[in-house]
Amino acid sequence: MSNTLSVGLGELVISKDPDDILVAYGLGSCVGIGMICPKYKIGGLLHAVLPENTDGDKTSTKFVDTGIPVMLEKMKQAGSDLRDIHVYMAGGANMLINSTLSKTFDIGTRNAAAARAMFEKLNIKLQNFEVGGNTGRTVRLYVAQAKMTVRVIGGTERDL
Amino acid sequence: MTGEPTYFSEELLKVLQAIAKDGLVSAASGLSSMVGGPLTVDNPCVKLMKVREIPNALGGPENEAVGIYLQAEGDLSGHFMLVFPYEKALEMVDMLMEVPPGSTQQLGSLERSALAEVGNLTASFFMNAVAASTGINSRPTPPAVMVDMIGAILDIIVATTGGISEHVLTFQASFKYAERAVKADFWVIPDPVNLEKYLSQKNV
Repeated sequence: MSNTLSVGLGELVISKDPDDILVAYGLGSCVGIGMICPKYKIGGLLHAVLPENTDGDKTSTKFVDTGIPVMLEKMKQAGSDLRDIHVYMAGGANMLINSTLSKTFDIGTRNAAAARAMFEKLNIKLQNFEVGGNTGRTVRLYVAQAKMTVRVIGGTERDL
Repeated sequence: MTGEPTYFSEELLKVLQAIAKDGLVSAASGLSSMVGGPLTVDNPCVKLMKVREIPNALGGPENEAVGIYLQAEGDLSGHFMLVFPYEKALEMVDMLMEVPPGSTQQLGSLERSALAEVGNLTASFFMNAVAASTGINSRPTPPAVMVDMIGAILDIIVATTGGISEHVLTFQASFKYAERAVKADFWVIPDPVNLEKYLSQKNV
């Protein structure tokens, strides 16, 4: 039996239960960052909303720049081997394509850029990613299979 | 003074409720001229909703929906989003195009522009109602129509309000034409700074 755990806006979920599937539904400009420790079967999924922390709370998972370090720390606390950790990223779409509003509002691109900057700073290599475009995505992280999948509307679920 | 207590005061909600009713009633008259018959807006209600509760209120974040988004520019700035579940959007188009229910099967450019017009009219009349009662003028930007998962559409609202508040003002109303009715959810998220100006104008 598998358990599906929904990861809502600005939330971070870490699981050590191999039956768990962590899901972030309908990511638009938000980014879903998945981390998997294949050795100990530990998985985490972060659903970050905005690129930069503005409220000064260093533990906030709503923001990409503070969410990633918090996530790494929680993965470590859960017993992950940080030397071998698989990191995935999906989301960061620009939902307002073909609109005069889109130029003033590209949080998606900024979210993805903030994540890349943070990965670089922390010397983390991305296993795979699917960002940008203008469609929403649902991501699922399978703890037991140590994989992350992406689905867009009208499409089928596929491995990232 | 800034912060959530001001943003969410009961008085402000009451004022907005009255404005919303005025705005939606006049939006209905605007839509009537578009469909060539009497279209009414029933049961408009205003409430505060947590952003994270919205996707479930609309059937789940992965459900396909249509979002019509625009911004208010001018003295009162803010964001407007009209959201229909996908099936409801098709019904709305049937109503606007005066074709039998079930005729519209997909949203092409014509259907999308009809929906954009609904957003445009609703927002314009809302802003006119605000202007009529407060003297605060604003105008809508051209609308953007999105067809995608509800969660993804709402990310626009989430991202624009993210640093400010976890609640948004929601307006719900049914558009009625002859025997047909389509329920819509309509969000208006004015910037808090502007709300204060608004409150002071209303002397509440």
